Amino acid sequence: MNRLLFVVLCTLGLGAAAQQQWSDPYVPPHIKRSENYVETRGEALRAQVEQKLRAQFDAADPAKSGTLTREQARAAGFGFVADNFDAIDTRRSGVIRFEDLKRYLAL
Amino acid sequence: MNRILSVFAALLVVAGCGGGGGGGSNPTPPPPSNTFNYTDAQVYSSAANASLASPNEITSVTQGSVTVAGQAIAYTATTGHLTARRLGTDAADASFFYVAYTANGRDPATRPVTFFYNGGPGSATVWLHLGSYGPKRLDAHAPSQDVPLPFPLVDNAESMLDISDLVFVDAIGTGYSQAIAPNTNQTFFGVDADAGVFRDFIRRYVAVNNRAASPKFLFGESYGTTRSAVLARALESAGVRLSGVVLLSSVLNYNSNCGLTSSNSLSCGGYFPSYGAIGAWHGRTNPPVNVAGLPAFAEQLRALTNNVYAPAVVSFLSSRTVPPPATLQTFTDATGVPVAQWQGSLNLGPDPFRNTLIPGYQLGRYDARMSAAGGVGNFDISSSFITTSFSVGLQGYFNDTLRYTNPSNYTFLGNAINTWNFSHDGQDLPDVVPDLATALALNPRLQVLAVSGYHDLATPWFQTERDISRLGSLPNVRVRNYSGGHMIYLDDASRVTQKADLADFYRIATTP
Repeated sequence: MNRLLFVVLCTLGLGAAAQQQWSDPYVPPHIKRSENYVETRGEALRAQVEQKLRAQFDAADPAKSGTLTREQARAAGFGFVADNFDAIDTRRSGVIRFEDLKRYLAL
Repeated sequence: MNRILSVFAALLVVAGCGGGGGGGSNPTPPPPSNTFNYTDAQVYSSAANASLASPNEITSVTQGSVTVAGQAIAYTATTGHLTARRLGTDAADASFFYVAYTANGRDPATRPVTFFYNGGPGSATVWLHLGSYGPKRLDAHAPSQDVPLPFPLVDNAESMLDISDLVFVDAIGTGYSQAIAPNTNQTFFGVDADAGVFRDFIRRYVAVNNRAASPKFLFGESYGTTRSAVLARALESAGVRLSGVVLLSSVLNYNSNCGLTSSNSLSCGGYFPSYGAIGAWHGRTNPPVNVAGLPAFAEQLRALTNNVYAPAVVSFLSSRTVPPPATLQTFTDATGVPVAQWQGSLNLGPDPFRNTLIPGYQLGRYDARMSAAGGVGNFDISSSFITTSFSVGLQGYFNDTLRYTNPSNYTFLGNAINTWNFSHDGQDLPDVVPDLATALALNPRLQVLAVSGYHDLATPWFQTERDISRLGSLPNVRVRNYSGGHMIYLDDASRVTQKADLADFYRIATTP
């Protein structure tokens, strides 16, 4: 009897709250899939990876010099580049180009 | 939902259900006086416009022990807040609430540390914290609907404390986590901002606790897997190397899951094998399939989907043609969904399926092995059945065991989702497979394990396999499926199997 009462209480109580409840995952109805969405794999996915890294590289290089120093990478939070700088900078020039990063990552 | 109303409703439910538990009613004993040493007087809010003026990092520190595989593990539990400081500027961005379990006397250079979070977005990490692999768990016995309520808190023989330290952390606007002025919680209600502030929490946790050398793992559930992909990329590019990422009940691409968008042009092929597994559980398939037969049946369901159902849906969506009755009969044999239902709506979404398989009953969304008579709207018996036990259980555990109190309401489910910025990479809904691919490009040794429940109608296992397959065939990316729902760990048998798989995964990921 107590058990049954408990279940009823809980179901009723949560049912009331559940009127506006969502669960995980969920998307509010006003948000729709973009019309131009394309699912990528293979070369197209690799190109997206490159694009993400290039965007981060460019953000660390606001002057658009096309190169980064270790200090610039560090200051921009691009710790991966700063930590691996010597290995990426195969030309030993003190600055790296995006192409150097790509080569290092075998992208 | 109106916040005051939701707090009030939660209190009503807790009071009503706690009191209604008969012999199991659980009055909180008066706290020992030293509890007050750990009371944080700060009031926390999950409201979008809420902002903390003066965050603190007060923690409660208690000792515990749990026995896993015959080995007693003494641990320290640390409960409280830690400030995430922004990468680059070091600005105090947000105050994260967390509970960390650290085994005593281990070498941090080799001892792994794992960060756990639920999803939503807007969900606190209470489900993973008290349901999965912490030292204590609420004994849910899923999918049974005939167990004592509220669930008792028990020692967790499957705790992961034998393989890793465990940090359960609540997202901003959930639990007791809140943004710091001049930010508001809303500042972090978005795919990219949320992952960024989690990155900064982890960086700070690692720095404060001297864990730079420790193997680091992420363990997210549901939207937490979306977060994990973006967060793994963000951590790797910031120079924080991860050893592994566990994706539990994944949603890696909101654009591929037909249950998440109101678009009716999206194929539900990713769900079809789940309908088969669920039909089998309810004895509706022809021939019948038991739990032990699920992996072999799953293979048949994949083939039927790829070769017959998915192409049929493509034709249906382009020209409204429906396959001949003999083909529909194969769908019925495989799932138990009647031929007439396939005839009327070939591209069957998960919500109609829940109301179709067993006349007069609605199946659960998180765990479709559970069901309720009737069933209306967005009710989910598998969610409702467990929520009160977790609410009651968490409050008692904080007060009595972790000895952490503050005057606020712990937000299980905030409003973040209603104002969440889902846009990512210029798309209105996130596809985070490219983020995971970027993390793998930066760290080719990164190990990824995606685990799904055969009976989950929120994040279907075959859709996860399809999303993961976009990465190509990589030896360090693995997929495992278990009998169970969205919260696989609530199933007693699958929790044991999954724990063994996790132990293997950690061993591989920490082998130099």
